[in-house]
Amino acid sequence: MKALWRRPEACIGLILVLGAVLMALLAPWIAPYDPLAIDLARKLMPPSAAHWMGTDQNGRDILSRIIWGARPSLTVGVLAVTIGVLGGVAIGLSAGYVRGLWEQAAMRTVDGLASIPMLIWAIAVVGIVGVGPLPIGPWTLPNESKIILLVGILYIPPLARVTYGGALVESNADYVRARRMQGASRLAIMFGDVLPNCLSPVIVQATLLIAVGIVVEASLSFVGLGVEPPNPSWGGMLSDARKYIFSGEWWTYVFPGLAISLSVIGFNLLGDALREFLDPRRAAGISVVA
Amino acid sequence: MWAIGGRIAGSLATLLAVSIVLFVLVHTIPVSPARVVLGIDASEADIAEFDRDHGLDKPLWQQYAAWIGGVAKGDFGKSVIDETSISRQIADTFPVTFELVLLAFLFALAVAIPLGAISALYGGQTIDHLARIVSVVGVSIPGFWLGLILIAWGAVSLGWFPAGGYVPWRAGALAHLQSLALPAIALGLYYVAIISRMTRSSVADVLLADHVRVSRAMGLSRRRILTYVLKNALPPVVTVSAMSFGYMFGWALIIEQVFNIAGMSRALLSAIFRRDYLMIENVVLVITAVFLAANLIADLLYAWLDPRLSR
Repeated sequence: MKALWRRPEACIGLILVLGAVLMALLAPWIAPYDPLAIDLARKLMPPSAAHWMGTDQNGRDILSRIIWGARPSLTVGVLAVTIGVLGGVAIGLSAGYVRGLWEQAAMRTVDGLASIPMLIWAIAVVGIVGVGPLPIGPWTLPNESKIILLVGILYIPPLARVTYGGALVESNADYVRARRMQGASRLAIMFGDVLPNCLSPVIVQATLLIAVGIVVEASLSFVGLGVEPPNPSWGGMLSDARKYIFSGEWWTYVFPGLAISLSVIGFNLLGDALREFLDPRRAAGISVVA
Repeated sequence: MWAIGGRIAGSLATLLAVSIVLFVLVHTIPVSPARVVLGIDASEADIAEFDRDHGLDKPLWQQYAAWIGGVAKGDFGKSVIDETSISRQIADTFPVTFELVLLAFLFALAVAIPLGAISALYGGQTIDHLARIVSVVGVSIPGFWLGLILIAWGAVSLGWFPAGGYVPWRAGALAHLQSLALPAIALGLYYVAIISRMTRSSVADVLLADHVRVSRAMGLSRRRILTYVLKNALPPVVTVSAMSFGYMFGWALIIEQVFNIAGMSRALLSAIFRRDYLMIENVVLVITAVFLAANLIADLLYAWLDPRLSR
């Protein structure tokens, strides 16, 4: 593990990811102002000692909104990847280990899912179901939960494929045969021996997919289909800031964009570093296409 | 030959499955088109009449068959909101989006392939490190923010490019290309990163192959060896490029919003905000079809370039 953190890119990646995660977790305590507090007397103020990143068109503190905006971005990225990992590992592992008809059916379904373009379907599903909170039983889920569900399902194919590839190789390995001769049950072998040995590429892929999820959330919020105003989100802040490109209030669109880019760079660098460490055979391979 | 036929049939089957999912999604939403058009106060009789006029009272499978039958003939039907032809809307907006994607794609290829090849040939040197930084930054900057920055720089500060809007071809070739230059860069940079990375790793793999060492030992010229290397490194690059082309259509919709370009995003987003479900359904179907076609072409090109791997 030490060798991993000696690389400068890995350290930068880890610091950026930790920064984003801490912002999201500690938002109520570290944000200097209420992200929703409107103060029209102080609107569009440039960065100053009182407002480090200036204020927006409603006089709201941009730094505070960026800190709170980390929450929806990371929530979408992490929860969508969680759905993708659970579904992908279950399908890939069982298909690679059980084989036969189930293998065919599962992997063809995965191929079908992989042929759905993510962004346009995220736009369409939110558009068809309608923008707004989603009431499920006693809970009211925010609009982003539709994005999480759709993106999560569309994350299943890449994760199922890497798990399946690993499971195929591991199932035929000598140590698995040995375990079988010892009389270990199929389930015990599948989860105890095969699964741990094909997790490395899954971890790498999952880290890179969090980065894609963050960009998808920001893009949807930017076109008004993600986080609903006035709640802070990085994409929504950029959407508000569009008209200030012409009047020169640069802080309104530079800082939220930097927040997205730096957190995405963080997850990408971390994913690359993990790949070089965990999965060196494919170290030079490509990152996730989206 | 059979493999190709099977692959095409598979893509068509997937498209059909996608159309069923879309149809079900659109027809199980709680708000009916009649309510959207006639309002909350409309009586049950008015709703029933509206449904009868638009064929919405027929069994679902008949509605689906009518829709897919029309689509197969290139007729997407009419919007129930304002009676405009959906085919007309798609015909007006699709070429704009297609051209934007094509320009961004050419930009990505023109930058990425030389960049990736050079960084593999000079592995570990300054140019390689620079290319690596470009690829990490390129995959991480969201296209729509890059678009905003490009407008601030290229349109507002320098004034070289228009800040947005689409200038049609007939208004002059230069003005036309100027209006698409910044959007194409904003859309293409992510794929510069993806494709240059793939090119780098593919060329680096080939450079280690035995046949390259043999060619060197035989004393072939550097230039000749280079052409062999590039030729052998091509298949994975072509596949990733073709897939990228499909993905670009999704992101193009966001970029069009930034630059105020009247492409398919206008058709789709305005349909979403007007709750014009049939319009949404058809636009998504068209873009999914393009995406499937790009993936199909990626597979076929790969099989053609590297026959060893076709099953």
